Amino acid sequence: MRVFFKLVFRDIDLVIKGASDASAAILFYLLAIIMFPLSSGTDTSLLTTIAGGAIWMAAMFSSLLSLDRLFRSDFEDGSLEQLVLSGISMELIVLSKCLAHWVTNGLPIVLLSPILSIIIGLDFEYWWILALTLLIGTPSLTLIGATPAALSCAIGKGGVLTALVLLPLMLPVLILGSGAITAEISGLGGKGHLYALSAILPISLLISPILASKSIRLGWE
Amino acid sequence: MSNIFNFLANPSRFKIFAEKVYPFLLIIMLVFISIGLWYSLFNSPPDYQQGETVRIMYVHVPAAWMALMVYLSMTIMSIFSLVWRHPLADILSKSSAPIGATFTLIALVTGSIWGKPTWGTWWVWDARLTSVFILFLIYMGHIAVVRAFEDEYKGARAAAILTLFGAFNLPIIKFSVDWWNTLHQPASVIKLDGPSIHVDMLIPLILMAFGFLFFYFSFLLINVQTELDHRKLKKLFIKKLNLK
Repeated sequence: MRVFFKLVFRDIDLVIKGASDASAAILFYLLAIIMFPLSSGTDTSLLTTIAGGAIWMAAMFSSLLSLDRLFRSDFEDGSLEQLVLSGISMELIVLSKCLAHWVTNGLPIVLLSPILSIIIGLDFEYWWILALTLLIGTPSLTLIGATPAALSCAIGKGGVLTALVLLPLMLPVLILGSGAITAEISGLGGKGHLYALSAILPISLLISPILASKSIRLGWE
Repeated sequence: MSNIFNFLANPSRFKIFAEKVYPFLLIIMLVFISIGLWYSLFNSPPDYQQGETVRIMYVHVPAAWMALMVYLSMTIMSIFSLVWRHPLADILSKSSAPIGATFTLIALVTGSIWGKPTWGTWWVWDARLTSVFILFLIYMGHIAVVRAFEDEYKGARAAAILTLFGAFNLPIIKFSVDWWNTLHQPASVIKLDGPSIHVDMLIPLILMAFGFLFFYFSFLLINVQTELDHRKLKKLFIKKLNLK
């Protein structure tokens, strides 16, 4: 367990010292949200209806962009190889990477979301459901993305291919997350979507470390 | 049973087996599909609500079943490939993906053509339609990943991992019509208390389903032969290079 937290702190430390482009992904999140009112008009009633979806989409793309680097930078400078050889269980390493990624990417997205909901025109009384869906959804996005990120490492090329593989897998989270907000606004109550969304998290927590560690080992087979 | 698996594990032995078997499968497929098409186009009653458009169903439903079946078989082969490193499972899985993607596309397109006169729209973001569309995207991702690797072995392993990951979508597709009460009608053939469809419509449907199943088997074997030939060619080419 101590090793686990050491690994997590190491990754967070690297981000704080600017060794990775995690902060750029957050900036991208802000920019992508601003694109929506600029592209589809500043009509307030229209913005209110698409606000939840817009924020969710920006969050998904932001985590997609930063997930591509989840294992890549460690893979390139050789520290991932050292971690694989170190005898620490691979699943634990994957989980620590995911936690560090969530703290540096998912958590800022969640924290920024109430402010952004004002900018984009979502009624402020719904900020809690937006933040709640993001709080439950972003860890699932990270965990789901771990396997394709590890695979893109093993392939040696990322970019479009990672997005192609990753986006269909992320879609259920996006549908349920923005669906909860839309249902809450329309008065149906977003609890149903929220329950389904929270079911994805433990499932992905169970499956994705196993598959991601298998994919990482593929790089040295 | 394990003897059969071991016997067919040898690729060249499997190739001889495939060459011998696939003409028969092709003939069975043609018989089923021609009888099924005759039944479904000329010898089955029009629906009392949908009229003649119900005949699209005889292509749409088997294609959708096969889209799921092919992915399920790919999932089982991926387990084989990851757990027992069965050399043929990789090739079977790789050869299945384009066929499955085609079935999914057929199901989506025919459903859309049926939906225009019946629902009044080409496409709705209903739970069943969306999840099948995601299945199509997963198929395409699988095909892209297999071809992205220089090393066939690595590509196959990566694709197997992805196939297992994407398998979460199968129960969602199957039960989407029960979980979400949206536009697509619920299951009427494969359910616990037996089919609720009239026997005159069930017969052509079953015939077409078997026709599509044998279409999958025969084209899978053709694809596997091509893949094995392709690998052999590569080896010959490398040998030639080494001799020079």
